[in-house]
Amino acid sequence: MVTAMSVEKSSQAPGPGASGAEHSHHQHHQHHHHHLHHHHNLHQQQQRDEMATTGPPLAFVTQVHPANLTAPAAQDSPNYLTYKKMELIVEKMLDEKTGVPVKTVKTFMTKIPSIFTGTDLIAWMMKNMDVDDQEALHVAHLMAAHGYFFPIDDHSLTVRNDNTFYRFQTPYFWLSNCWEPENTDYAVYLCKRTMQHKTRLELADYESDYLARLQKLFSRKWEFIFMQAEAQNKVDKKRDKLERKVLDSQERAFWDVHRPMPGCVNTTELDIKKVCRNQSRPTTSGGRPETSTPAFGGAQPSAIRRLNSQRSADDLKKDIELLRQRLDRRITKVSKVADALMGYFEQYAEYDPFFTLPEYPNPWVSDSLEMWEQDKLPKEVSVRRVKRWAFSLQELLQDPVGRDQFIRFLDKEFSGENLKFWEAVRDLKTLPQKNVREKVMEVWNEFLGPDASCPINVDSRSYEMTKKNLEKPDQWSFDVAAAHVYHLMKSDSYSRYLRSEMYKDFLNGTKKKTSVKGIRSIVSFTVRKDTQAI
Amino acid sequence: MGKEDAETTALKKELEDLINKCQEDQKKQQDAKIEDACSSVADAPKIKMVTKKMLKGHINKVNSVHFSGDSRHCVTGSLDGKLIIWDSWTGNKVQVIPLRSAWVMSVAFAPSGNFVACGGMDNMCTVYDVNNRDATGSAKITRELLGYEGFLSSCRFLDDSHIITGSGDMKICIWDLEANKKTSDFPAHAGDVVSISLGPDGKTYLTGSVDKTCKLWDLREETAHQTFFGHEADVNSVCYHPSGNAFVTASEDKTARLWDLRSDQQIASFKPPNSNPGFTSSGLSLSGRFIFCGTDDNNIHVWDTLKIQHNGVLQGHENRVTSLSVSGNGMAIASCSWDQNVRIWV
Repeated sequence: MVTAMSVEKSSQAPGPGASGAEHSHHQHHQHHHHHLHHHHNLHQQQQRDEMATTGPPLAFVTQVHPANLTAPAAQDSPNYLTYKKMELIVEKMLDEKTGVPVKTVKTFMTKIPSIFTGTDLIAWMMKNMDVDDQEALHVAHLMAAHGYFFPIDDHSLTVRNDNTFYRFQTPYFWLSNCWEPENTDYAVYLCKRTMQHKTRLELADYESDYLARLQKLFSRKWEFIFMQAEAQNKVDKKRDKLERKVLDSQERAFWDVHRPMPGCVNTTELDIKKVCRNQSRPTTSGGRPETSTPAFGGAQPSAIRRLNSQRSADDLKKDIELLRQRLDRRITKVSKVADALMGYFEQYAEYDPFFTLPEYPNPWVSDSLEMWEQDKLPKEVSVRRVKRWAFSLQELLQDPVGRDQFIRFLDKEFSGENLKFWEAVRDLKTLPQKNVREKVMEVWNEFLGPDASCPINVDSRSYEMTKKNLEKPDQWSFDVAAAHVYHLMKSDSYSRYLRSEMYKDFLNGTKKKTSVKGIRSIVSFTVRKDTQAI
Repeated sequence: MGKEDAETTALKKELEDLINKCQEDQKKQQDAKIEDACSSVADAPKIKMVTKKMLKGHINKVNSVHFSGDSRHCVTGSLDGKLIIWDSWTGNKVQVIPLRSAWVMSVAFAPSGNFVACGGMDNMCTVYDVNNRDATGSAKITRELLGYEGFLSSCRFLDDSHIITGSGDMKICIWDLEANKKTSDFPAHAGDVVSISLGPDGKTYLTGSVDKTCKLWDLREETAHQTFFGHEADVNSVCYHPSGNAFVTASEDKTARLWDLRSDQQIASFKPPNSNPGFTSSGLSLSGRFIFCGTDDNNIHVWDTLKIQHNGVLQGHENRVTSLSVSGNGMAIASCSWDQNVRIWV
């Protein structure tokens, strides 16, 4: 006989009625399954009765049902379908005649109500679900991990195929009701447990730890939590002894699901990204294999190769082509790559706030907003900023002051049109589609066309390619020409700029003006052991 | 059928040979370990970051965080159905944007700070104009990008008028926001595209996928330039090295790794010394020396990427760290967690 299988609550906000209904169900033990079929009206009746007499019986009166918030609705949850499937199975297990045999076991001094054994459960699953014992055990374990049934005296929600006793969870606590109980509820529950002076109800170590933490967290609310716990305890005490046993264990199992013992899987906290993925990924022959690209490198080539067996000839050809291209490319030795990364670090350590005090104080540390207001502040360009312009043309152009300087230099050299063209091409890419065509023609007429107002020098190959691109203009039409011009600027104008008096003057000028203050090399920095980066 | 089989078998054989050749080619270039090659560089100082601001306001798991280009504001998306734009310096909420769907998985801030985007299990990407309010006073929706057959798992703005997305239908899409039109839409991976990192030169980007691979793409092309194998489970996060020549990844297989584009292979792997968490997110310091990884053991682990040494742990979150973002000025890290909080580490 299944106990306390009261009602489905999914359509109602949880309230005092829920376990109240369980209460009266208990007295109608033998009629229970009869009720299940037309329980709805009955349940409401009971609920009304119970509310009048018993008041809030469980810890969940303070619970705000997530469905009432703007939070995800139950039905949207990717887990919801899985819950519903498991619940269908549980409903069958609960059937009085054809379900798992539930009994009350009498021992020397006590009675253990409403339990079944692992062996009975697995036997039932094998008979009714067309699975072998291993699979049955696996499914049973998963269902237990979600709290649909639980070992009567263990926080670890697993199932063994032996004579261990298990009990069904009441549908009120099923996961499809979208419980996301809050810490205050847990605090009330744990607090209540401390009021019940029985060895079997003693808090486990991790629960005591949790309680201590919650007490600290809710120190201001603790009086309220304590009062709630006391009130609930009082209600609980009025219950029939066997019924309490069942309810206590069901409540415990609920928390074992939502606040699992350390080391147990938290089934309610699956990563939604991964859950979606598992649902959307077709696993049978209709779906795509897990890897559609050839694999090399360290990992399990055999596994990946196995997947290749499911792939079509076209896919394979595509991959073969890609791999051929890959083999045609020469790759760099790891030692060289390591050198390059080290070189990059050494060059940029001066600009990484973890290694060098930044030019503007870290606003989160100093409470100074200078960092974000530097545009408003009249301040010279620091020497380390100017130094950075020499790292690459990209660095120079990224700094507005550097770009201005470079334009002035180019103007002096009468080659300013190169940078103007390159920037026009760059800006073309951020334009909305509809303006691209027009802008492409503008750029052509300004820099490349026969009557260009600001002609640039490009090699004939780039010129011809660009001309051809104009038949179907898009934001990439000038890329070849722009790459050519960029290369020209980099190898020619840029290197001359770095050697020019203009750059040197600027570097020295700023050097004179800014003191050495604030510029510390990485070496002096790491020597001071206790200095904290940032 | 028999004929087809023969062809397939031959192709498979060819592919396998090529794979072996590639592996050999990679091995040939493994002439040193990065930690040995970098032994001459001075040890990195121990990181001592602490939570400088605790951003409280979400009432459910926070799934994603991203800094604006100003290194001051950041946006977070939570299962409570809200986007919050924070001033990470004051800790104040600048805007709270209620979403039509609460199942948000990815958020992005435009570098300009003018727009934010988000998406998730609503199978679309929604773009909000931060500087424009609708009748109810919250940020105005400027675009709803539709047409996905799977959830939206990652998005990044290229600029104010272009956004790139990766989705559960294994595709990459690039949108012209002005025209509300897709300019690219192509199958990219054999699994959800869960992470996108834009290259420092603005021409290339990297993707990470649950198909265990990462790929390098040119913005103009629809075939991958390079594919990187080695992770044994979902790649949850990719992050371009500031040099543009390398990148790091964080994976479900409980490792974070450093890869190089020029040597076309993994050059280092990171695992915490005393725990075995799955990795959810990654970021790099401005010089590329430090890697920061969010994990499901509630911590953010830090390593030296040259000496491959564990540098420290940022402890504070009380549940899985879902996402982290390094500010553009390299001075702060924002992280968010299932514990409903967002932290600014300095």
